[in-house]
Amino acid sequence: MAHLRETSDKALKLLRTLPRVQIGNLRPNPNSKQNDKRGRAQHGGDKHGAGNKGSGQRQNFMRLGYETGNQPFYLRFPYEPYYKGHHMRRQYPKISLLQLQVLIDTNRIDIGQPIDLSTLCNSGLLRLKPAEMEYGFQLTDEGLDNFKAKINIEVQHANESVVAAIERNGGVIRTAYYDPRSLHILANPQKWFEKGVPIPQRMLPPQDAVAYYADAKNRGYLANPEEISKERLVLAQKYGYELPKIEDDPNYQMLTEAKDPRQVFLGLEPGWLINLVDKTIIKCKN
Amino acid sequence: MNKITREFIKVLRQNNSPTLLGRQLSYKSDISLDKIYPNARLQLYTPPPPPPSGSKKFNGFIPINKLEITYSRSSGPGGQHVNTVNTKVDLRFKVAEADWLSQETRDKLLKALHNKITKDGYYFIKSDLTRSQQMNLADALEKLRTLIRAQEVEAAAGPSEETLEKLRRRQEKAVRERLQLKRSRAQVKADRQGPSGVEL
Repeated sequence: MAHLRETSDKALKLLRTLPRVQIGNLRPNPNSKQNDKRGRAQHGGDKHGAGNKGSGQRQNFMRLGYETGNQPFYLRFPYEPYYKGHHMRRQYPKISLLQLQVLIDTNRIDIGQPIDLSTLCNSGLLRLKPAEMEYGFQLTDEGLDNFKAKINIEVQHANESVVAAIERNGGVIRTAYYDPRSLHILANPQKWFEKGVPIPQRMLPPQDAVAYYADAKNRGYLANPEEISKERLVLAQKYGYELPKIEDDPNYQMLTEAKDPRQVFLGLEPGWLINLVDKTIIKCKN
Repeated sequence: MNKITREFIKVLRQNNSPTLLGRQLSYKSDISLDKIYPNARLQLYTPPPPPPSGSKKFNGFIPINKLEITYSRSSGPGGQHVNTVNTKVDLRFKVAEADWLSQETRDKLLKALHNKITKDGYYFIKSDLTRSQQMNLADALEKLRTLIRAQEVEAAAGPSEETLEKLRRRQEKAVRERLQLKRSRAQVKADRQGPSGVEL
């Protein structure tokens, strides 16, 4: 370190006596410029750096990647489907528990009613784009420790710690699948009702998703409700909280309200036609 | 709807099946849960904790209210988050008074942890594994469960007589071969010397 200081002092001393930096005083960085002139005479002449005979001297080089006959690396692998079908994969945009808590605290969401996809979209702050392969929302664990709301929420995906955070506050969480048509309806219900089309049925999930939604551990909407009750206790034991007695809750009715697997809107049946103008519902006779 | 009808409906709702005068109050499709799981209890309930088993096996249930859990700040790097948020979990309980464990397990624990139990009889587990208090609590409980289960596992029997005999034979053979090699080398070196006057 001492010698660096000496060198820098030396350099500064020199700088005082040297002329100002000008274009004519500058020199390019070492090895940045290559001499393109052909070598001549004693040391640059004769073979001119091309060696003796062979493809080198005859300037007939092998193509880039050629491995002198064996199958070159860049031709060994015929198929690398890393992103095959990635544009068709289901996506679930995230909502953190922190965001959810903020929405609740600022009265953007009414927790006196079950919260579902349409509630979140109707708040105006969260948007779902079903056309871009977004199949609903997933709840993430950011803000896990500070979540303190008792809610009945239905999302499309939630991991274990999130489920634990909601259940420890006395709430209920369910994961449910909505097919693309139902998603379009729920993302903007007002716009869809204005079309004057009867409410369709919700379709079952695709093969690869059925196992997820039929599992009580994931609180799936197709899972056995008795298993779900048991899994609630298991999770409470795992995460170290006393499971609040939900039957004694005054809001038990609201907290356990769940949609039927074929229902898109809670309280409205498939086949009904809603008339927003006259504020009537037209139902099927048979 | 008058008061009497409202009470009537309330009573009927409590009967688990959402019907009123023969009509369904909620929609039931072809794949409603009562059709997929006809014998299941459809309403959410809180199952009671499993009873403490009389036998020595730990049934996995820990009554959380019997544990004393405190939170504090974690150590290590992490800036504002580690400085301000209580993510470290301290879980303690009196081993001798843990009636949710069988007496045998309790005694085994007391014996195994006697160096670690405080003067007041508490054994504590700390965890600051993650950035989240909830996950750290889960980690601490997992440590507790592992500890209890480790006491219940019966010690391995050890190597059998046949194995011990095999090992002894192997050792003896190795020693024999080593000595043989030593002797042959010694003979080779001795042969390099010329014959002594005595042998002639």
